[in-house]
Amino acid sequence: MRQNPEPCPARETPALLRARGLAKAYKSGGGSVEAVRGVDLEVSVGEFVAIMGPSGSGKSTLLHVLGGLEPATRGEIWLRGKRVDGLSPSAWAVLRRKHVGFVFQFFNLLSTMTVADNVELPALLAGATPKQARKRREELLEELGIAAKAGAAPSRLSGGEQQRVALARALANEPSLLLADEPTGNLDSANTRDVLRLLRRTHAGGQTILMVTHDAKVACLADRVINLFDGMIADDAKVVPAPREKATVRNFLELRG
Amino acid sequence: MRGAIRWVRTDLRAHRAQSAVTVAVIAGVVAALVLAVMLLEGALNPWQQLFNRTKGADVLVYLAGGTTAGQLRDLPGVTKVAAPYNAAPATLVQGAQKSPVQLDGMTPKLPAMSAPLVEAGTWLRASQPDGVVIEASFAAATGVGLGSRIVLDGVDGTTVRMRVIGIADTADQGFYPQWTPGLIWATHSLLAKVEPTRSETTEVVGLHLADPSAAGTAEVTQAVFNAYNGPSESSPVERVTTRQQVMDSMASDDRLLGELLGLFGIIALVAAPCAIANVASGRVLMQRRDLAMLKALGFTPGQVVRMLLAEQVALGVAGTALGLAAAWTATSAAFVRPAAGVGVTLAPLPAAQSALVAAGAILTAGIATAIPAWRAGRVSPVAAVQPSPPGGHLSPVARLSLLVRLPAPLVLGARDALTRRLPAALTVAGVAIPLAMITIALTVWSTIGSFTANPGRVGLAGALTVYANGPLTSAQTTALITADRQVSASYPGAQFDTLLPGDNGTFIARAMGSSHHPYPLQVVQGRMFASLEEAVAGQGFLNLMHVKVGSWIDPTIDGVPVILHIVGRTIEPDNNGDVVDFGLDALSAASASAPTFYSLVLKPGVDPAAARAALLAASGSRLNIQVASNPADRLGVVRVVIVVAVVILVLIAMANLLTATDVGLRDHVHEAGILKAMGLTPRQVMATLVVSTTIVTAIGIVAGVAAGLVVAPRLINAQGQASGMGWGIAATLSPASIAALLAAAVAGAVAAALFLSARAAHTQDPLLAARAPALSAPR
Repeated sequence: MRQNPEPCPARETPALLRARGLAKAYKSGGGSVEAVRGVDLEVSVGEFVAIMGPSGSGKSTLLHVLGGLEPATRGEIWLRGKRVDGLSPSAWAVLRRKHVGFVFQFFNLLSTMTVADNVELPALLAGATPKQARKRREELLEELGIAAKAGAAPSRLSGGEQQRVALARALANEPSLLLADEPTGNLDSANTRDVLRLLRRTHAGGQTILMVTHDAKVACLADRVINLFDGMIADDAKVVPAPREKATVRNFLELRG
Repeated sequence: MRGAIRWVRTDLRAHRAQSAVTVAVIAGVVAALVLAVMLLEGALNPWQQLFNRTKGADVLVYLAGGTTAGQLRDLPGVTKVAAPYNAAPATLVQGAQKSPVQLDGMTPKLPAMSAPLVEAGTWLRASQPDGVVIEASFAAATGVGLGSRIVLDGVDGTTVRMRVIGIADTADQGFYPQWTPGLIWATHSLLAKVEPTRSETTEVVGLHLADPSAAGTAEVTQAVFNAYNGPSESSPVERVTTRQQVMDSMASDDRLLGELLGLFGIIALVAAPCAIANVASGRVLMQRRDLAMLKALGFTPGQVVRMLLAEQVALGVAGTALGLAAAWTATSAAFVRPAAGVGVTLAPLPAAQSALVAAGAILTAGIATAIPAWRAGRVSPVAAVQPSPPGGHLSPVARLSLLVRLPAPLVLGARDALTRRLPAALTVAGVAIPLAMITIALTVWSTIGSFTANPGRVGLAGALTVYANGPLTSAQTTALITADRQVSASYPGAQFDTLLPGDNGTFIARAMGSSHHPYPLQVVQGRMFASLEEAVAGQGFLNLMHVKVGSWIDPTIDGVPVILHIVGRTIEPDNNGDVVDFGLDALSAASASAPTFYSLVLKPGVDPAAARAALLAASGSRLNIQVASNPADRLGVVRVVIVVAVVILVLIAMANLLTATDVGLRDHVHEAGILKAMGLTPRQVMATLVVSTTIVTAIGIVAGVAAGLVVAPRLINAQGQASGMGWGIAATLSPASIAALLAAAVAGAVAAALFLSARAAHTQDPLLAARAPALSAPR
């Protein structure tokens, strides 16, 4: 994996998500601890951005703040051109219905509902009729390969299957932004590959994804990797896959040169 | 909106048992309250329907035979005068049993006013000259059925045989035997056979009034007397009865029943929000992560609150509808039937009060959920790790007990039990309140049981009553009684309906035994009477006359003015306590105070029915003996209510217990993983969990039963006092019963804890539990 030192291409793609000077502090013990300190961030439409960093670097906190699950202490957030950091929890909730989908490490499926209900709920919440919701649910489950489990209770599914349900749920309303917090953190390698494949396919379909991960293999998938350290961005660079070239004598000679 | 509906539907489905309990609880509360209101309001009084359907008379005037009734038409306030009919006194003879009868002469065509409502058979027919119609309650009391042949004795001794061709209801008088004489309708020719002399009959005239209220009828009654030269020996007005008197007579004369039902209803109304709140809080605590996820999905905090409230209110509405339906069914299925088995549809539920009760129940469900719902709204959308209970170091007591090698589970469990003050307090309350009420319910049961097992305690020492209106003389009767070996004592007595001063009611003046050998009444305040001028009274009488123990009264009993000093208060189950008792010799020789009955106290262990049969046989069926009625018979329906109430309360207690145990386990189950990793065996871990939850619930159980034991006797006695029976009726639970109740409750608590902890302790992977507490057993 080679990092491209050149700046972003000249063609201006519209910024879906923008953050300026974002900070989030928690009260702990005697004083307050800043989990996120002055983050500037831009995500364009259709981009797949991975956020990496050691534990305690504030990755999950950043994601929660960008999705409005927690209010920012300082800074500005712009989503689809509108300022959103000062919104009330109710307004954020309404915004999330249509524009933000969440996938968590521990799946977080609603335990009292079946798989089908879990996937239909966001659509119903956004105002779809039960019939529309059911159609959308059937499409999604079919696409993700778990249509057979529609009537099952979440606790009966394997980790991989649950995460796929969570993904289906997150995509139910075709959100502008998909936020994924360690989506493969709780999965074995086979399931990890499955979920990553699905994420790639979703991205190929034009979905903007912002994903937190600690696994470099997972971050490979992304267009861009942001490295966080102690609450601040340490590095932000595009990912360019290594060009596949035949192992020729010329390359060998170049290296030596 | 649709999203909310979907979530509520699946949530109810996932918690079917809890929801069913909530609905059942609310239904029970609503039904009990509605029934109590109906009883207390007299809505279960069949009088109104009867009155409407029979086009009853507001006032009935009984005039001496031959008097003109024309003057009545001119009285102010009278809008209609019915055609008068003749009535004659007679006696229904059935072996030795003689029942007083008023025989009314009617035509085959039903009259316009006071038309008897035929329930079985037919009305009088010209083709059956010896056919008569008997009033329903009279028929039931005397055992006369359709087609029976009966014998009526006239006043001057003529005997007439008749055949019953119909049974009818009337609103003209109350039910037999509370109201005598019994009514029989016959053709004029039959009446003439029984009482040929016209002047010996009575003319009965019904009046319709412009103002049928109590004031209006009182005015007209007075006017009637005045129109015929005032009430005096020579007045042709024999008596006047008003619709109020009939209405009061028909009402269930047991206020105690209405008050007990009301008590249970209110008890349940207090317990219900407790249960609902407990269940709702438990749910919110258990579903923190789900609620957080809902918010992450896009439910606003307001939506979450409204959703939870709507869910519980929906359950409240379902329970209320069920309760109203249950109350309606209970009343239409002859829940209260006067002695006769009268086939009268009861008055409809008083709509205003039912609506109030229904609104109250639904509001209660909403309010009980309000705080848990509000807390749910405040749950952060970030599914955070469950905050651990406030820790701290082991107290010196705990350290000492560990040192002394008390089992570790016991010490750790005890330490864990009360770490969270508020949830522990709520759990204690959630278990204590239903148990207090179960204790109250069981005390009522034991009180009613004591009426039957120990009737002397409530003034019913005499199990049999021999009436002195048979063919035998009093000497012969006394001889027969004393000869019977099953009788331990007999008390001659006489009873008089005495007018209250101001003529607005009557009370019973009862003379039993003599001043020196009085009937064994249950005197609970003051002392028994011991001389001629002394008397004891029931609470109802004291309330009626506004006097206390120690007052002097001067009623006119049976025409004789008597001065009495009330020296004590008794428990008086009859007539709502409106009774004053004194010795037979207190009535001076001026009035021939021959005993009209003998109250027999049987030897202990003797069955009253068997003793009655023996005496009847010994006397050759010439004695008129009745088994004394026990209020426990009338209160039989309360036993049913108690059973239902206890079932509901047990459900509430179990629901609270399970919720409390669940929540408690959730707090400590992640510690279970750590304990296992440290080296405690699964059994020890389970023991720790069981101990920690059982301690709190056990405190609740003991507190509840103790509170119930303190409150119950006071409550029941207060009800007794209010109903006129008197303070002192409560029979407390025996120590054995209390022990059994405590044992059963604690066993239930332990069972719940064991069941739930077993699952938790064995499904926990210690490593996983230590690292990711959020993964604890999904429920």
